[in-house]
Amino acid sequence: MDGPQDLGGKESFGAIEVDSPAYREDWERRQWALSKLVAPPGLTIDWFRHALETMPPGVYLSVPYFQKWNANDMALAIDAGFYTMDECLSGHASEKGKPPDTLSVDDCEDLQRRMNRSFATVIEEPPEFQVGDTIRTDPRPRPGHTRLPAYARGATGRVIAHHGAHLYPEAGAKGDHIAHHLYTVEFCASDLWSDCEASDDKICLDLWEPYLASA
Amino acid sequence: MPSFDTRKIGEIHRQLHTHLPSDPALRVKALESLVVEKGLVTQESIDNWIELYSERIGPKRGAEVVARAWSDPDFHARLIADAGQAVKDFGYEGHATEHLKAVENTPDTHNLVVCTLCSCYPFSLLGMSPIWYRSSAYRARAVKEPRKVLAEFGVTLPEDVTVRVWDSTAELRYLVVPERPKGTEGWSPEQLAAIVTRDSMIGTMRDLPPEPA
Repeated sequence: MDGPQDLGGKESFGAIEVDSPAYREDWERRQWALSKLVAPPGLTIDWFRHALETMPPGVYLSVPYFQKWNANDMALAIDAGFYTMDECLSGHASEKGKPPDTLSVDDCEDLQRRMNRSFATVIEEPPEFQVGDTIRTDPRPRPGHTRLPAYARGATGRVIAHHGAHLYPEAGAKGDHIAHHLYTVEFCASDLWSDCEASDDKICLDLWEPYLASA
Repeated sequence: MPSFDTRKIGEIHRQLHTHLPSDPALRVKALESLVVEKGLVTQESIDNWIELYSERIGPKRGAEVVARAWSDPDFHARLIADAGQAVKDFGYEGHATEHLKAVENTPDTHNLVVCTLCSCYPFSLLGMSPIWYRSSAYRARAVKEPRKVLAEFGVTLPEDVTVRVWDSTAELRYLVVPERPKGTEGWSPEQLAAIVTRDSMIGTMRDLPPEPA
């Protein structure tokens, strides 16, 4: 969807805060931990990302990063019936639960290690493209949780890698487990930007087969 | 279960924005007290996750991997072939490293990593990303004007060096392998790891100084 998340090539954001740290405030660390340790049942990574895209655009573009995650955690849990709006606004549970076992730092490290989840899967359909093929990307905005950025729509590029089939985000954001062939596509800067800095520079994106057509 | 309904989740976001306090510290406190009262997690677990990411997981891991690639041709070949598998030698696999791809800088190529659509990052290898990596400015500009972005980080690229920007649009994650500086011949992997910086593994730094930073 054409949401505020699709930032590639957008103008007027100004200078980069090159010396900024990983966190400015303690609450940012705590929100990172909360997001990693608590999730409503049935959550997919694609639905998590898509939910962020539906924030009011002005809010998305103006609040600190982990404030977005905080709102998103609440929104996802309310949507799933896991918490109520009133619980989120009050910060108190309508029914208290039994405290779970505490995870030690070692337990957290084990949990972190198990997050190396594979998105690769095997499908029957053979790949439509091969390394070296020239492709053209879908020129149209795509609904839902697309991972084809606006700046790379309707652009001609070259396939430089095929990764087999990976789970498809547009389906994952709807709770479906469907996979398509995934490719790395290289674009010349001059094919994406009329005012590019150097025409030989390259921009590489990982794109699923439904985004691509032969060129 | 989730509704998977774009309009519904957008409406919940709008309501939350209207009714939550503006101070994000209060919002996080509310969420934390709620989930602790519900018995979903303990405060000590949250503290321990934070400690994990401040003490154990950070760019030193990535630096060790790069130093070994510089020192050990067999490991270098495996890292280039399948970085997600190669980092398991160190036990450094984890959050967002299963489909890791190592991209090497050379005298005529410079690699730069961004995620324009969200903020994908190889957390298990580099720790929490810097705020600039997650910022709108970096996400917007890295794909369009990478040379101006690099200049803000103090990197001036000659015209004959090609920039390759990697936009992490799928579950692949990218690790830049910087060039080994001259004058480091005979160094141990530990000495080499000490000069590899986080920014050099994202690509916003190019020339590493031949002495620990």
